[in-house]
Amino acid sequence: MKRTGDSTMYKIISESEDKNKIKIINIDKNDLVEFMEDYKGKGYYLSSITGVDMKDHLEVIYHIHNYDTHEYIEVKISTTDDKVPSLTKLWKAAEWDEREQYDLMGVIFEGHENLRRIVLPDEWVGHPLRKSYDLKKVQYISMDPEGKEHVSYNENEGW
Amino acid sequence: MNLLTRIHEWFSFLGNPASYAIGYILETLFIIIFVAISFIALIYIFRKYMARIQRRVGPNRVGKFGILQLIADAFKLIGKESILPEGRDDLAYKIAPLIIMIATLVSFIILPFGDLAYFGSLTITHSKITLILLFGILSILPIGEILGGMSTRSNYALIGTMRAVAKDVSFEVPMLISALAIVMVSSRSFVTGSAITGGFNLSTIVTDQIIPYGIIEPLGLIVFFISMIARASYSPYDLAESDSELITGYTTEYSGMRFGLFYIGLFGMIYLGSFFISILYLAGSNGPVMTDLGFIYLFIKTDILVLIAFLVWVSLPRIRIDKFVNLGWKYLLPLSVINLIYAGFFILYIR
Amino acid sequence: MAHYTELNIGPIHPSIHGILKFKVKLQEEIIEDVEITLGFLHRNAEKICELNYYADNMVYFDRMDYLDAMNMEVGYLTAVEKLMDMEVPERAQWIRMIMAELNRLGARLVGLGAFGLDMGMLTPFFHCFIEREKIQKIFVEASGGRQEVNYMSIGGVYQDFNDQIINDIREFLKEFKPYLEDIYSMFMHSEIFWQRNDGVGILEPDVALDYGVTGPLLRGSGVAYDVRKDAPYMFYDKVNFDIPISHKKDNIGRFILKVEEMRQSIRIIEQSLDKIPDGPYFNNKAKKSMMLRLKGDGEAFSRIESDNGEFGVYVRGNGTFKPWRVHVRSPAFKNISVVPVMAKGMMIADLIVIIGSIDTVIGEIDR
Repeated sequence: MKRTGDSTMYKIISESEDKNKIKIINIDKNDLVEFMEDYKGKGYYLSSITGVDMKDHLEVIYHIHNYDTHEYIEVKISTTDDKVPSLTKLWKAAEWDEREQYDLMGVIFEGHENLRRIVLPDEWVGHPLRKSYDLKKVQYISMDPEGKEHVSYNENEGW
Repeated sequence: MNLLTRIHEWFSFLGNPASYAIGYILETLFIIIFVAISFIALIYIFRKYMARIQRRVGPNRVGKFGILQLIADAFKLIGKESILPEGRDDLAYKIAPLIIMIATLVSFIILPFGDLAYFGSLTITHSKITLILLFGILSILPIGEILGGMSTRSNYALIGTMRAVAKDVSFEVPMLISALAIVMVSSRSFVTGSAITGGFNLSTIVTDQIIPYGIIEPLGLIVFFISMIARASYSPYDLAESDSELITGYTTEYSGMRFGLFYIGLFGMIYLGSFFISILYLAGSNGPVMTDLGFIYLFIKTDILVLIAFLVWVSLPRIRIDKFVNLGWKYLLPLSVINLIYAGFFILYIR
Repeated sequence: MAHYTELNIGPIHPSIHGILKFKVKLQEEIIEDVEITLGFLHRNAEKICELNYYADNMVYFDRMDYLDAMNMEVGYLTAVEKLMDMEVPERAQWIRMIMAELNRLGARLVGLGAFGLDMGMLTPFFHCFIEREKIQKIFVEASGGRQEVNYMSIGGVYQDFNDQIINDIREFLKEFKPYLEDIYSMFMHSEIFWQRNDGVGILEPDVALDYGVTGPLLRGSGVAYDVRKDAPYMFYDKVNFDIPISHKKDNIGRFILKVEEMRQSIRIIEQSLDKIPDGPYFNNKAKKSMMLRLKGDGEAFSRIESDNGEFGVYVRGNGTFKPWRVHVRSPAFKNISVVPVMAKGMMIADLIVIIGSIDTVIGEIDR
């Protein structure tokens, strides 16, 4: 299926429904920005971003919402190299959501100007929501007088 | 007959110099302790009263009906560790709470307390310029606030100090001008109708108030009362300490007993201000029936004023700093000047 | 040359409602810029949920918006039950609805009390908490828990309502209505309250939508969006209630709106109490011995209206006893992100009041 608008051009791979009757649209990650631009024009707003680790690839799920027609749509893309385009240019809400998914899931949003960790300390090693993250390895954080955080695996060097 | 000569009488066997020295020390202690105890009792009453407003029970564990709660609180405060912040200016940090507390306490011995039965007059300071003396001591308080705030390297304390100084500057002026109107009115005696020289003497102001000056100058009373609450940093004007914004303002880095001294200063200030108002505007130790118990009259008037200030404290939210300074300069200052002009007309034409 | 004072409000500060850090750039007392640092209460509940059985995760949701635990449970359960194709008996759904609305009242009361405290108003705080305590007592009666209730379970609720509880709720509502008006007038009759809040914390609707803000904050900007009305879950389509909106866009508007929503919550509870049918209170497929053996497959996203706004839960199962991925769309997380916009050009005192009017719960922001 191919849709052509004035300036938009994207391909919908498949459409389905989740168990709560929310429409799922699968698209290619290269089409994401065009797709979202089109839907932004239709009055949709970003509600949440979810990253799912499928071991061999990452799925990034965007929930978008139209406040006038009350339509809720799930847009799903997948990536094998952890990189997806950023939506910060379209919606301000993407800024924190993308930082959160980068922090916990390790999705790299290309084009995000301030892609820092948001809940974990800046120097944290690894992304905890990854299935490959080693939970047994405890990290201890300490802070030097300048306010910079350091990570150590030694219990005595931090808290 | 006054308290000093009574004590002097008791110790006259020691000779004149020694007995007068003991007399001065004892009467000062007597007044300060009496004021402190009565104020503790007042705070206890207020805490019960506030608890009722807030649908609580209030203190009821320490002592019968919780009357010893405040003593327990004081001991808790003394027992606490005093944490010294790093990078402080040591001397300034340590003397700031003392300045606040001593200045507040010393102010109390200037007030004319009136008679108390057998002891006679309790007034300690017999000077002709007690009003100026009192304002002089009150103007020491900002020094303590500035030293306390600036000596610690905390931004909260810094902002708190700026607010405290803004508060002192903008409310000192209406307070002084209102007091000046009192001086003008009291410069001509009610009793004899002739000019007297004791306009700056608080004792003369009291004895001369056959009609309380609050009735003659209601505007002055209101301005002075609002300024007094503001100077004492009470809600809604507790911007310098505003606990939800600046933790505790200029006292942020203080802990233990040093914080307690600031606290005594804060509570002492509202009591002092109430004394001040009842002396200047509500005829002090004069009552409807002339007795030798003027002291009691003064206390009743003061306690009512303190309770009103406390009631304002529990019921109003905090005002914002710009509105607060506006209130001082744009409303209270013009009102106090109007009051001053009115006082001038009053002594010229009505009296 | 611009000269700034940098003030760290938080992580430990009396009026941040938890632990959160605002790094504020000040010029005199005017705010130039606010930078928010999160993560002081981060427990990574999403990861913990992946390691647990479906039924075990309830306690972690309780502790997200710890003031609004019932609604958090509803949010998780609506997603998980859809994922498992689990039917919920009607009685259980009505019970859930009553509890969720009661907890919304409780959470709002804390919010209002703390809002007053942020302005230096001591008295309403106690009144709010005393009223909230009565709600907590009803929860204790029903579930044994006071704040973190853990009342609901997959396929129903932990315990049935008895007549005692229904009576308690009716009695509470009867007493509560005049008290709510009392608390409301305590704020609204104060001139200083108006001075502090009128025109403070203005949030334009397009900014709010752009930032993904929901809940009272969005409705306070004039957008009528409430999940209970727009995508009804449980039986919200079978009761009558209104969604108030405010076009004032500032703190005052939001305050009035929040109180009005509490009145609507009372309406919902009253109607639900009349409509609650007899019947089983849990699905037999999910009885206690079977609870840990429930499997989920596929994916489900559900959203509910919690105290702070649209609370969404995304659950992905892979056919085992444990979820593959749980994601929470936290309303407070989005709401707090708009603070720098609202606070720019205001004073410190305003920033505190704005945070108070957003009424954030850090447990939910950091998760």
